[in-house]
Amino acid sequence: MNKIDKRLQKTKKEKRLGLMTHVVVGYPSLAKTFDIVKIMEKNGVDFVELQIPFSDPLADGTTIMKACESALKNGTKVKDAFDVVEKLSGEVKIPLLFMAYYNTVFKYGTEKFCKGASAVGIAGLIVPDMPIEEEQCEHFDKYCRKYNLKNIKVLSPSSTDERLEKNEKVASGFVYFTARQGITGAKDTLDPKIQIYLKKVKKYFSIPVAVGFGISKREHMRALQQHADIAVVGSAIIEVINKSKDQDIEKNVRSFIKNLKMVN
Amino acid sequence: MQNKGHFGQFGGRYVPEMLIPALEELEKSYFKAKKDKEFQKKFSYHLKTYAGRPTPLTFAKNLTEKLGGAKIYLKNEGLNLTGAHKITHCIGQALLAKRMGKTRLIAETGAGQHGLATATVAAKFGFSCTIYMGEVDIVRQRPNVFLMEQLGAKVIPVSFGNKTLKDAVNAALKDWIENVDTTHYLLGSVVGPHPYPTMTRDFQSVVGREVKRQIKNETGKLPDYIIACVGGGSNAMGIFTEFIKEKNVELIGVEAGGKGKAVGENAIRFNGGSIGVVEGYKSYFLQDSDGQIQKTHSISAGLDYAGIGPELAYLKEKGRVKFTSATDAEALGAFDILAKTEGIIPALESSHAVAEAIKLAPKLKKSDVIVVNLSGRGDKDLFILAKALGDDKFMDFLKSYINDDEQNR
Repeated sequence: MNKIDKRLQKTKKEKRLGLMTHVVVGYPSLAKTFDIVKIMEKNGVDFVELQIPFSDPLADGTTIMKACESALKNGTKVKDAFDVVEKLSGEVKIPLLFMAYYNTVFKYGTEKFCKGASAVGIAGLIVPDMPIEEEQCEHFDKYCRKYNLKNIKVLSPSSTDERLEKNEKVASGFVYFTARQGITGAKDTLDPKIQIYLKKVKKYFSIPVAVGFGISKREHMRALQQHADIAVVGSAIIEVINKSKDQDIEKNVRSFIKNLKMVN
Repeated sequence: MQNKGHFGQFGGRYVPEMLIPALEELEKSYFKAKKDKEFQKKFSYHLKTYAGRPTPLTFAKNLTEKLGGAKIYLKNEGLNLTGAHKITHCIGQALLAKRMGKTRLIAETGAGQHGLATATVAAKFGFSCTIYMGEVDIVRQRPNVFLMEQLGAKVIPVSFGNKTLKDAVNAALKDWIENVDTTHYLLGSVVGPHPYPTMTRDFQSVVGREVKRQIKNETGKLPDYIIACVGGGSNAMGIFTEFIKEKNVELIGVEAGGKGKAVGENAIRFNGGSIGVVEGYKSYFLQDSDGQIQKTHSISAGLDYAGIGPELAYLKEKGRVKFTSATDAEALGAFDILAKTEGIIPALESSHAVAEAIKLAPKLKKSDVIVVNLSGRGDKDLFILAKALGDDKFMDFLKSYINDDEQNR
């Protein structure tokens, strides 16, 4: 059984909102990426998405974009992402996912990427700019299935019924729904219409729903509790890292996550 | 050959799901408008009465005699309103955006020419307008920033990445994601996700149709060679499209050779580049082995771009369009020759195409005919040219202009 399914069974049994957190591989350094993921697990995070830095991250706001830029400046390579996950796999039990832009996957070789990711212990891939229409040329979903990786589809408030229906056919593991029409980034308040959107999503998807984009506070988590299965926190954690001195990163990430988790 | 915006293995629509409804709406509206005679009539009307079409095809008699080979004709797109071919697809897209009920236009710009053309149609057709431009480009192209602002546009500096064109594209796409209900993204070339490459090509293809008619009138036959510079490829696809089926017409694209062969010194995608998927489309990109987009350089901001239109990648793969390059120095040389022999000041982008004609013409028969797409005029390059040509007096002028201004304050 894929680790993602297993973890989802656990959160369901415990009747709580799962938490997925996000790191940019190589930000602020590869060593820190390794430490931060371990801290995330230790403090009750259920899933970690490791973003492979890319020079042109289309769906990301300033916070994550700048983290990607900085990781690339540090010399982070795609291979480093595989290496760090391989090392982590020996130490953490929670499912790890790769978030990448399609050029990273394509340039690496789509099958080679999926095979390699699976081999180092990745449980799922989030590749937002690989839409279902291009499957015929790319065989991305095919290789995800072949190597037992969940193909996490990302949908948004602008997704029409037709798009929800089409994506439902390929989505696996869980579906990632963005809390607003926009790019990544922490916000003060959640879109009040989010519950209506989520109802629509649930009409089409029987698999669990994760909600991300703009989630940064305990109140956000509380608001999602009844309507989603997983909350995704990305930019907010990077902002915690940005504001921390090097030696305080672990401590501050820990207290930030603990605070978020107090919702349960 | 074309299925959902694919040109062979190139093109496509590689975007996050949240952009797909907007692109589907645009695609549907565009193909409906394309078949609508009223829309086409309106488009032609504004091209004729506002932009200044048809642009002339000029026989470069002095240049031809100087080189002693093939006859050279210049398609003078520099005589369009705003000084380049860009206004054509801007009018097309603005009319389409109006039809779709949008009230705001956004665009990216490198050299500022596409931004200027977008700001122009926004003023003309009553849109609010935001232009994204890399900080580095803003410094290089202040006159265009000034003009865009005079036309009522808001110019927003982009301070991430390389701070040039590709980063402006990213910023504009992000704006579009957030404001898709009210806003049309007026993408400036034959790049990006479907339907942009097809739509921009269709609007620009008027150039090739004019050339076909004009050259037949002049010479009684089709040209033997057509040369165009290629950044994203809008002027090239504009002049090539009508001739793709004419197998005896050789089509030549000229990329920016920059100042050298090393990474970051040029923008030659068909030499240093490889296939990738960036900014929503699959094509050739200058990228490293991890797929990270690399820095590019050209003296002409319009050719200083890491990607190339997907249809051009397809035509290159099929052997239908041949590609070559001209260096910064060759472009400057061509600029000088054209100015002195023909009394035409070409844009630095277009000078790359002229440079290729200068290399090619002497090797050809006198009965051969070359058409060069002179995509824009060179007024916009005044400051870059004065610097590149080492014109001390121009620099003195700038200094005294600033001094006078400070004294008067």
